[in-house]
Amino acid sequence: MENKLKQMAVLASDAIEKCNTINELMDVKALYLGKKSEFNAIMQDLKGLSDEEKPRIGKMVNEAKQAISALIEERKNHIDREKIDALLKEQTIDITLPGKKIAVGHKHILTKIIEEIEDIFVGLGYTIKEGPEVESDKYNFEMLNLPKDHPAREMQDSFYITEETLLRTHTSPVQVRSLLANTNQEPLKIICPGVVYRKDDDDQTHSHQFMQIEALVVDEKATLADLKGTLLLIAKKLFGENREIRLRPSYFPFTEPSVEVDVSCFKCNGVGCSMCKQTGWIEILGAGMVNNNVLKAAGYDTDKYQGFALGMGIERIAMLKYGIEDIRHLYMNDLRFNSQF
Amino acid sequence: MKVSINWLNQYFAEKLDPKDLVKKFNLMSQEVAGLEKLVDIDGLIIGHVKSAVKHPDADKLKVCMVDVGDEELQIICGAPNVDANQKVIVARSGVTLPGDFKIKKAKIRGIESNGMICSLAELGIQAFDSNELGIFVLGEDALPGEDPLKYLNLDDQVLELDLTANRADLLSLRGVAYDTAAMLNIIPSFHEPQVIRETTENPVSIFTQTKNCQVYYGQLIENITIKQSPYWLKSRLIASGIRPINNVVDITNYVMLEYGQPLHAFDYDKINSDRILVRDAMDQEEIITLDGEKRGLLKGDIVITDGERPIALAGVMGGLNTEIDASSRRVLLESAVFNSIKIRKTALRLNLKSESSSRFEKGIDARKTLEALNYASELLVRYADAIIVGKPSFFNTINPKKKTITLSMDKLIKVTGLKFEEDDVEKIFNRLRFDFKKKGDTFIVTIPSRRPMESYQDLIEEIVRIHGYNMIPLSIPVTPTQGGLNKKQKTKRLIRNFFVGKGFYETKTYSLVTEEMARKYDKETLPTIKILNPLTKEREYLRHSIIPSLINVLIYNKARKIEDVFIFETANTYFKNDEQEKLAFLLNGKSDYSLWQGLDKEIDFYHLKGVIEALLEQLKITNYSIRASLSPLPNLHPGISAELLFGEEVVGFFGRLHPEEEHRFGLKDVYVCELELKKLYESSEKQEMTYVEVSKYPPIERDLAIYVANEISAHEIIEVIKKTNKKLLNSVEIFDVYYDQNKENKKSIALRLEFLSYDRTLEAREVDEQISKIIVNLKKELNAELRS
Ligand SMILES: [Zn+2]
Repeated sequence: MENKLKQMAVLASDAIEKCNTINELMDVKALYLGKKSEFNAIMQDLKGLSDEEKPRIGKMVNEAKQAISALIEERKNHIDREKIDALLKEQTIDITLPGKKIAVGHKHILTKIIEEIEDIFVGLGYTIKEGPEVESDKYNFEMLNLPKDHPAREMQDSFYITEETLLRTHTSPVQVRSLLANTNQEPLKIICPGVVYRKDDDDQTHSHQFMQIEALVVDEKATLADLKGTLLLIAKKLFGENREIRLRPSYFPFTEPSVEVDVSCFKCNGVGCSMCKQTGWIEILGAGMVNNNVLKAAGYDTDKYQGFALGMGIERIAMLKYGIEDIRHLYMNDLRFNSQF
Repeated sequence: MKVSINWLNQYFAEKLDPKDLVKKFNLMSQEVAGLEKLVDIDGLIIGHVKSAVKHPDADKLKVCMVDVGDEELQIICGAPNVDANQKVIVARSGVTLPGDFKIKKAKIRGIESNGMICSLAELGIQAFDSNELGIFVLGEDALPGEDPLKYLNLDDQVLELDLTANRADLLSLRGVAYDTAAMLNIIPSFHEPQVIRETTENPVSIFTQTKNCQVYYGQLIENITIKQSPYWLKSRLIASGIRPINNVVDITNYVMLEYGQPLHAFDYDKINSDRILVRDAMDQEEIITLDGEKRGLLKGDIVITDGERPIALAGVMGGLNTEIDASSRRVLLESAVFNSIKIRKTALRLNLKSESSSRFEKGIDARKTLEALNYASELLVRYADAIIVGKPSFFNTINPKKKTITLSMDKLIKVTGLKFEEDDVEKIFNRLRFDFKKKGDTFIVTIPSRRPMESYQDLIEEIVRIHGYNMIPLSIPVTPTQGGLNKKQKTKRLIRNFFVGKGFYETKTYSLVTEEMARKYDKETLPTIKILNPLTKEREYLRHSIIPSLINVLIYNKARKIEDVFIFETANTYFKNDEQEKLAFLLNGKSDYSLWQGLDKEIDFYHLKGVIEALLEQLKITNYSIRASLSPLPNLHPGISAELLFGEEVVGFFGRLHPEEEHRFGLKDVYVCELELKKLYESSEKQEMTYVEVSKYPPIERDLAIYVANEISAHEIIEVIKKTNKKLLNSVEIFDVYYDQNKENKKSIALRLEFLSYDRTLEAREVDEQISKIIVNLKKELNAELRS
């Protein structure tokens, strides 16, 4: 009997091993473990054994059945796995074929820089003010200490619409409007981004239309030192943490003193290169303390109030930052250009 | 302003370091445009021509033996005026002349030549000698072997300053010297003019009939000999960018450069009287100016007259009738100050900008008028054999009282944020040579006439620039304010981000366009805004619409084989008394495609419409409608275009370009949209963000297919359905549109209706009831027929 059991175990194991489908395996299972299986027959035969033999052989039969069950389970898993493997293989694709072209949009570089600068100033407590592009001579010039016969008007030859209206030549009229609107003369910290126009023939470095951001602070305390600190902060945020600035005397009718602001060259770190014309410095913007005539024109008491203003050309910042060689690229909208930003 | 370093050195005990000057001017005064050698040639040498004989094989060449100090050179020279015993300028081999012309040893027609005898033209300074015949011949005192540039006072450097409008004082060498002295903390010394005068009475009398001349001096000068100026004077003029003419003209220019005071010389014998009358010009008066042009005058011009006829256009140009010429013997020399604005207008109108008019425009130190005149007289005595006839005649309306400005230490510190000491400020005023008094901690500064100033802010600028901007500390404003974007600005960013997320490129195009482009998409005729003084016809009008510019961008990119163009722009458009910010976008080509998978459909109207609907959803705007325009939209396909409305208000339009328009530009399937941003902002701002709990109960879907007449729009069908059931109907979606050939003039529409309750699970029965009602209404209202 023992021999028979061993022999059956071997046979069953062989049969299981040969199964390649779940159906075959189920047939083998029925053959060895089913109601009509040979093990069942042996169990029937147990009745004829002695009381000593019964438990021993019974245990052997159960062990043999458990072993076969385990083998069947293992074989089943194996068959399942093979089936899945075959399926996966069948479903395998050429992953090197190109993906679907999902269009990626791009903001214009000028917008990106404006938003960047806006975010810096907003973080410093400034609000953003906008105003019309068709502006009166009064707001664009006269209230900015540029009376009709002022020689500096020639510096910015303008597009006129009537004798008294023109395309604004800077965003400064927005400052005037903001000063006038601030009737309680509360502390004012604003920036004015926008499109401006000058009567220049378009060439590599000139554009009859361009963008500016100006900042204005007017309160009872804003100092030249505050202006300098603000300028350094902007320069670092725009051109990198290691940047330094220097101020040089300049002249704008609406500020006094007025300065040009240079940033240490970010290409050569101040050593001197073609970008900075060997000086180590690059001019980035103009600034100054608000001229009292501007504050007075807006109804401010200049014994009490003072402030500073700064203004920069966005195109210039973009061209410097990315080494763009021609300002006209910014308005050509060649999508191969626009897609790089 | 071009500044001769040699000239500037004259005011100081020690020679200046030009490179240091550049640094100082840049940081403390005015931007330096350049520092250059007046003649940038190394190695020129004075030669003595020992002999000059005709070249045996060339008629026009001479073989010269030239002593250059350390050797004798054989040089072939082609100049007609070369001769033995001349002192000449020699460029030996190895020297490079302007134009990268390198002198080398060479054989000329068989005879060796070891250099070149130079003309001034070859040295790039032709202006130095106006009647040059060939090579330049130096004086007999020139020593062979020495530097000819030094001999001619041309061994100079030129510092060029870019002047800002507030620094007219730097239009004179003396002004530059004052600023140099302040920056370097050194003391300048200035020559006091010494005039030897004849004791005879000056017969000239000067009158004025205008407020536009503050001061006028006229000096009669006799016995003038017109000739060339000395080398030093010529070279200084050349360094200053002024061409030497003759001694009289050169001296007036020289004095102008020294003092910033323009002078004018009349030929006294050509003036018809002893009377000089300064007055405003009369309308339609005329004068022929020195350049021979007849100039029509206006009331705003100022003229110098002999009592009758104009003899000069004041401050701008002299009259031809009193011009100095080679035979002039008596000169009336004018030194005057005229109204700067009048001069500017006249010079601008007649296009006669000059060194003198620009000085009058920018402002002159009116207290130096006489001194400048005296200096010119002194030079004329010395270099034109002149005799000065008595004291100058004049009138002078200058207020002798000088202006003062008050500045307290408190104010200085409050404005700059730097804790200046009184001592610092005193030292700076001394360096600037500003006279001041002190009253407590307050400075009362007498403003020098050479530096006009308006307020204490100007004084602060002077103090800070001389002290150094690098000394100003760093801080940021202390007043707390709340920063941020307003709702409109946030919405604008949201819109831009939306388009970028949808694969669009943002463009920036010009506001100024042609007249045609400006009004191309106007539904009704609206006036355009025209520029009075445009640069070109291409940029003459302010645009009403951004779309023509976007079409140009499309054309530009198509020409460069960029096929898929999805672009948008936000910009102002311009109407009478109104600027409208608009959003425009354009679609052309394919979006989100995969060629090898066969997904390569060109975008169509419904893609465009989908973008608009998605944008509105992003902005939380729900109460909008889309309808065909009541009147045709210009340049759009009448059957493939629509308007977007909020209530009864049109927000904008969208659709395909008119086929004729597409044809004109060689384009196909171009879709455009333009919306008024203000209306989007306002509508978006009204939308509150609200929350409704999502239903816990499952929805029930029902499909419905109907036949309707072709003219019935999808919108009408959906409206009928929605009207029938408002409570349970959650959504209606059209999922098929089909034109059945067997059903004439009819189309089949398949709809998917979703029903949902928020308080219970719906039963199939109640949904079926609703569907029946809907079918009844569709039949009744649209004559729809159920498709089985
Ligand atoms: Zn550099």
